[in-house]
Amino acid sequence: MEINIFQMYPDLLNLYGDLGNVTCLKRRCEWLGIQPNIVNFSINQEVSLQDGDIFFIGGGSDRGQSLIYSHLLKYKKELEELIEDEKIFMAICGGYQLLGNKYIDAEGNKMPGLEIFDYETKSEEGRLIGNIITKNTLGLKPDTLVGFENHGGRTYHDLQPLGKVISGHGNNGKDEKEGMVYKNCIGTYLHGPVLPKNPHLADYMILKALEKKYEIKALDKLDDKIEYLAHEKVIDLYSP
Amino acid sequence: MGKIKIKKLKFKLSIFAGRSISFILKIFLKSSAGALPGKVAMSIYPDILKEVDHRCKKTVLITGTNGKTTTNNLLVHIVKGKYPRILSNLRGANMPQGLVSAFINDLKEDYDWGIFEVDEGSFKRVVRDLKPDYVVITNFFRDQLDRYGEIEKAFQDIYESLEPLHTTLILNADDPLVSNFKKLGKKNIFYGVLENQFCDSNQNVVETNFCPGCNEHLDYSYFNYGQLGGYSCARCGFENPERKYEITDIQYQGENYRFVLNADQNLKDFEFKYGGVYNAYNCCASTSAALEMGMDLDTVTQRIESFEYKLGRMENFLINEKNVKVVLVKNPISLGEVLKILAMDDSKKSLLMILNDNPADGADVSWIWDAEIENVLQAKNLKNIHFAGRRPHDMALRFKYAGISTENFHIHENIDQALDKILYEDVETIYILPTYTALFHLRELLNARIEGKGRTISYFREFLKNLKLPKS
Repeated sequence: MEINIFQMYPDLLNLYGDLGNVTCLKRRCEWLGIQPNIVNFSINQEVSLQDGDIFFIGGGSDRGQSLIYSHLLKYKKELEELIEDEKIFMAICGGYQLLGNKYIDAEGNKMPGLEIFDYETKSEEGRLIGNIITKNTLGLKPDTLVGFENHGGRTYHDLQPLGKVISGHGNNGKDEKEGMVYKNCIGTYLHGPVLPKNPHLADYMILKALEKKYEIKALDKLDDKIEYLAHEKVIDLYSP
Repeated sequence: MGKIKIKKLKFKLSIFAGRSISFILKIFLKSSAGALPGKVAMSIYPDILKEVDHRCKKTVLITGTNGKTTTNNLLVHIVKGKYPRILSNLRGANMPQGLVSAFINDLKEDYDWGIFEVDEGSFKRVVRDLKPDYVVITNFFRDQLDRYGEIEKAFQDIYESLEPLHTTLILNADDPLVSNFKKLGKKNIFYGVLENQFCDSNQNVVETNFCPGCNEHLDYSYFNYGQLGGYSCARCGFENPERKYEITDIQYQGENYRFVLNADQNLKDFEFKYGGVYNAYNCCASTSAALEMGMDLDTVTQRIESFEYKLGRMENFLINEKNVKVVLVKNPISLGEVLKILAMDDSKKSLLMILNDNPADGADVSWIWDAEIENVLQAKNLKNIHFAGRRPHDMALRFKYAGISTENFHIHENIDQALDKILYEDVETIYILPTYTALFHLRELLNARIEGKGRTISYFREFLKNLKLPKS
């Protein structure tokens, strides 16, 4: 068995250690006896997206982000079809914002998004920074997700959130929602990186990919002692 | 008249208050480090930095992401060979209050030189009152993003605040972000390190993707570390400017390093006690500055050979007949580089990682995932890996996902407990890599063990730290 993990623009979107998520998926696949193939997709490295099982989109600096927007626009339709076809996506921070309609900066300038989902992000005063704990909506056990958020933009939508905020800010600091879920596409503001400290979420993504490709219904259990100690530590230190 | 009197009185009061705080800290915590005395003094007399400027005949500011504290300590050590009266924030408190604390603790009517390291985020504020004759800029790496947004912002802030100043810039020619300061049209002195046996062929650093001249990809002929190396842009011709001072060769001889320095066409080699390519840059930055400040080459290299680090950022201890090496790690680049040194050391050894997430460490610990922890995979004779600090499990996870066997991982409740284990292992060398806020506490614990005294002071300090005080 093998899984193709597409790392989108790793040369431009690699802030806040988010590529650690790809490292996490890769190692867990290896430990589970599944062969992970990491494929880099970028401006000078265009490969067919049809072969991807899991797609990972991180966040970048403003400069990186505007460069990739115009490039990724060519693939908008294909991405939409892949999401509808229940391929696994994880988009973090800037990547999550990019899937929406637009981003409105502090001066009111509008930067277009890919318009795959009907939401927008507004820059408001003050950055939302800090450790965050949420209760996930995917039915995963344990029911908490932990990470670190750091964003100036506030995202507003009526889609299913990834989690309900227990401690921290979430999408906008107001409606207690964090992230979004549509089919197997996950958007989130959680850095950390999010997957190593939330192995239940990592395995959820791997299982969904295997289910789709090989009709596999369950994964073996890995030794996640250190993973859950790190998870618990965030809860110990930062729960309200 | 009355106004001037009140001003003088306020100044005296601010010094008195600052010194009192400093005195109390020394008595109870055996520590004069930190910015509190300066903070108190500044709240009484906000213009105190202007007074510092006035009392220093000439000043040098050192800024950038990595190497500020080492370059500052080195430069002061070198310049002391000629000028005894130097004011400096040697302990690394590099915000305005830290500079003022240094002044309060070493109060004189005048100084030959004021030599200060300045935090990138504080540079603007500092040069408002303190007009430097020289500014040394070391490098810009991604560092604690939650404090500054992005490195472009740090660059922009320093760039703008330098614009109106009459000053000489001493710039790292090998960092495209730093050499770009030549656009300011000041007097520029460039330094750098040529290709050598410690070079990497490849570095995955995002900064290399953008030419500061035209946003194109930069071509590198070699990497020293991070985005530092020999670069050129095929499109607009942006490349390393010609260096006046350069390290042309690095040799590793037993415990010491031998650097060959080309100082404005004069060749001279010297030994240095501390490893790593980053120390070649620190040496080159401080020798360039000292030579520009009017020192002669022989004195400079003699002084640099006698330099010993006493601050724990790089410090060697001998405990239980083991060589204990403490190196501060504060961002992905420095962590990866230190682990590279560990991997080159063939002795029987253990490692202790101490990760804190206090504001001065960076509240977001995700930076450890951008570091080349994988360098540890090359290490021979590495016995145990210990983890301590506020976030030990996060660090252990990072090591686990680098592909390192967890069999020899040991996670500890606190630093003291980790030391109880690691200092008694059957090894020759012990590497301890703390983040910033763990450093001073670690030093106290190590010194207490050397002196064989009780650990009362450390425990008292721990107790004070854990006291939950209402937020002001």
